Amino acid sequence: MSNEVVLDLHGSTSIAHDVHHGHDAHHEHHETFISKYVFSMDHKMIAKQFLITGMFWAVMGGLMSVLFRLQLGYPDSTFPWLEDILGKWAKGGHISAEAYYALVTTHGTVLVFFVLTAGLSGTFANFLIPLQVGARDMASPMMNMLSFWFFFLAGIVMLSSIFVETGPFSGGWTAYPPLSALGSASPGSKTGMDLWIVSMALFVVSSLLGGLNYIATVLNMRTKGMSMTRLPLTIWALFFTAVLGVLSFPVLFSGFILLIFDRNFGTSFYLSDIFVNGVGALPNEGGSAILYQHLFWFLGHPEVYIILLPAMGMVSEILSTNARKPIFGYMAMIGSMFAIAILAFLVWAHHMFVTGLNPFLGSIFVLLTLLIAVPSAIKVFNWLTTLWRGNIRFTPAMMFAIGFVSLFISGGLTGIWLGNSALDIHLHDTYFVIAHFHIVMGVASMFGMFAGIYHWFPKMYGRYLNNTLGYVHFWITITGAYLIFWPMHYEGLAGMPRRYYDYSIWESFKQFSDLNRFISTVAMIVFATQLLFLANFFYSIFKGRKLTTKNPWDSTTLEWTTPIKPGHGNWPGEIPEVYRWAYDYGKDGRDFISQTTPVGADESVH
Amino acid sequence: MSHTADTLHHDDGAVVKEIWKVTGILSALTIIELILGFWMMGISSSGMVMTIKGTIVILMIAKAFYIVAYFMHLKHELKNLIMTIVVPLALFIWFITAFLYEGNSYKNLKNRYDPYKKQQTEIKVQKNEEVNESKKTAE
Amino acid sequence: MSTITTTAAPSKLWSGGKSPFNVEYGKLMMWYFLMSDAFTFGAFLIAYGTTRFASNGWPNPNEVFRSFPFAPEGVHAPLVFVSIMTFILIISSVTMVLAVHAGKNMDKQAVVKNLIFTIIGGIAFLSCQAWEWNHLHNEGAWWGANPFLNADGSQSLNHFTNFFFTITGFHGFHVLSGVVINIVMLIMTLMDKFEQRGHYLMIEKAGLYWHFVDLVWVFVFTCFYLI
Repeated sequence: MSNEVVLDLHGSTSIAHDVHHGHDAHHEHHETFISKYVFSMDHKMIAKQFLITGMFWAVMGGLMSVLFRLQLGYPDSTFPWLEDILGKWAKGGHISAEAYYALVTTHGTVLVFFVLTAGLSGTFANFLIPLQVGARDMASPMMNMLSFWFFFLAGIVMLSSIFVETGPFSGGWTAYPPLSALGSASPGSKTGMDLWIVSMALFVVSSLLGGLNYIATVLNMRTKGMSMTRLPLTIWALFFTAVLGVLSFPVLFSGFILLIFDRNFGTSFYLSDIFVNGVGALPNEGGSAILYQHLFWFLGHPEVYIILLPAMGMVSEILSTNARKPIFGYMAMIGSMFAIAILAFLVWAHHMFVTGLNPFLGSIFVLLTLLIAVPSAIKVFNWLTTLWRGNIRFTPAMMFAIGFVSLFISGGLTGIWLGNSALDIHLHDTYFVIAHFHIVMGVASMFGMFAGIYHWFPKMYGRYLNNTLGYVHFWITITGAYLIFWPMHYEGLAGMPRRYYDYSIWESFKQFSDLNRFISTVAMIVFATQLLFLANFFYSIFKGRKLTTKNPWDSTTLEWTTPIKPGHGNWPGEIPEVYRWAYDYGKDGRDFISQTTPVGADESVH
Repeated sequence: MSHTADTLHHDDGAVVKEIWKVTGILSALTIIELILGFWMMGISSSGMVMTIKGTIVILMIAKAFYIVAYFMHLKHELKNLIMTIVVPLALFIWFITAFLYEGNSYKNLKNRYDPYKKQQTEIKVQKNEEVNESKKTAE
Repeated sequence: MSTITTTAAPSKLWSGGKSPFNVEYGKLMMWYFLMSDAFTFGAFLIAYGTTRFASNGWPNPNEVFRSFPFAPEGVHAPLVFVSIMTFILIISSVTMVLAVHAGKNMDKQAVVKNLIFTIIGGIAFLSCQAWEWNHLHNEGAWWGANPFLNADGSQSLNHFTNFFFTITGFHGFHVLSGVVINIVMLIMTLMDKFEQRGHYLMIEKAGLYWHFVDLVWVFVFTCFYLI
């Protein structure tokens, strides 16, 4: 890494970087299929590996949601083909209760961790950080590779848990004890849960290796002239994401270790006064399940921002580029992301208002939680002001970015409801919560991810995605997302609890059976549309329209100064120097000024 | 590495001297902690015990400071690096406060709503040695 | 905003092209890894504190940890053995600093000597811990089994031993990996790896890890043995 210089190395000693790729991008060293596509240390290839693995898990998780939506929408119907694919889990074409809970649990785990953490920040942190800060690769390409393979391994273990006889874990993605701590609690709590913990432990290692690398790269590997305040907002967002991950995942890890002891070594950290049907009273005494929830949500809440921040960063970049205007309030954007990152660590117990948490403590958590509205609102207003009177180009990436802002507003506002502990007594564990977090965290982050993929696909593969399919993808997805999740608010306000297997036996929820069927139908259509996107993606890798210019979006940032298909090392020759911030759009009558252009004498100070 | 622009080159002797000085401080703090620990054993007033425990925690933090600042050499790094490491640790303040407050509240709730359990925890059990001794006297 | 595009960044350190902290990336990663690990241990100790705050009684550590090797029957000396363990770790930390310092001066002999002292200290600490675990196990303490009564003489729950073995075990695991790392460093030093590289930065990073292990012990020692 030629751009890492340490000022004074105690006399004449100098640091030879252990991964030296030299200045030229074309490969001097011999590359085999294995070293180029499998155990690659090139950050761009690792990013693609993260993306495609994430896509696999997105399809798996999406498919699971389709299956359990089938149960929710058509509780009385039978689907004989289900027995063909699920076997004993769908006897007579009807998904069993155990299978339903296993599907819900795995859907949550997979989408939160594998798709929206690894698939989103794994992909874009790897791809964009070296390219946008002007580095030849990550600080430690080796650790970067390990980060992917630990993630891959976590995925394999999770996948294998689907095929064990007692089924995958089925106690919810939050894995609350006692369901997660006692093998006798449910079929899924046996081998399925062991594999779940192993998988998550591997995932924590992966995220730690990745996160440390991202932080070190952003701090140490910036090219000449790239001060922190000249970084594109994507990098700031990914930086904060990495910090959140490094500080919060270890707490989850500790919680899991205590859980492992509870499961296997007769301790009772989380267990007390339990009677299991068929087993009898358990000797465990004095533990507190709430302790686990505290430890879990100490990660769990920052995790929400680990998912959301990268999307925010990419959306900022894409909005500014395609509105041909500088981002409004660059420093305010950084400040609000910083505020969000800090508040993320202070609000975890708002997930636990009704667990028996001390109400006074709860009231402080309400206050801290509602504070998040301030930086969130700053960001929303800055995005809207960036769009204001812009010369907007409605590329598919831009559409998804605008869709993100819309979803973030809709989902964020319901967060204010849920953040109040008094309202939460009525709303907790209802479909209102499902609607809230799916819109603000799930779908919004997916939109950020789609925006990122449409925007940087040309950089990844040197070809464009098909635009028409992109528009179809966008319109069906945004309409579908609102049609699926908006009605859930009403169901939740009417008290319809989440995680139930069959609502048709409750008189009070019978009124929603048509609505549930409608939601399920839309969910299937939206899922099919995502397959269309995947078809577009893989078709375009090989047959898409080729790029003819280095800078297809007329962007200012550094990644568009690399060749159309950059080799390992990103820039042939010297890494360019940076002279200005990343958002000089529409300045002095010029459409855009690249970061590598020196500041002219006649340039205005804006 | 650590000899940066604003910390001038220490000569060799001074560095080693500093190391031994810190060793002395750490040993002294540990010994004070131990003395307090021994002293605490004979005290029955819970207020006094809490005060001593508080003092021990402060001494613990002082020890941590000396290890991080001198042994890990953080004091001689650039100020920005120090800040990036020390500031996130401030998250522990709320982390600890909220958790301990919650633990205490959990105890009070249990004792209030499960008086039978509370009674159970108040029953004194004969200590092993006393049991042994009573056996011996019986023989 | 206006200043950013046109004027140079105020601080030269942050203007890119070099490390803003004047630290190479490996050491930076080690620091942040240790910070992350501090949250692992922090979570353990906070979980321990929470459980202790949620319990009506707790054993008196002075009645639990009162033995030491080769002690005559019936002689109880609380805090003595653990003080020895603490001093072993502090001294091994000191020798590690001396090794790092010698590395800066490219003094191979001193590096080797001090690394060996550090490794011996680490092994001594682990041996002490093994003896203590074994002793407690013989008294009937283990995960899920607590023979000790609360300080007020009432029946105690298992939490005391559960947390003690989990947390000291996790710390012991860190010491063990620290010893392994130091042995690797010693072998690399003896093979002149660092002389060839022209710097002993690896030793410095291993040193950071070793001091962190010592640091954690300061907290474990206080939380379990003293208060």
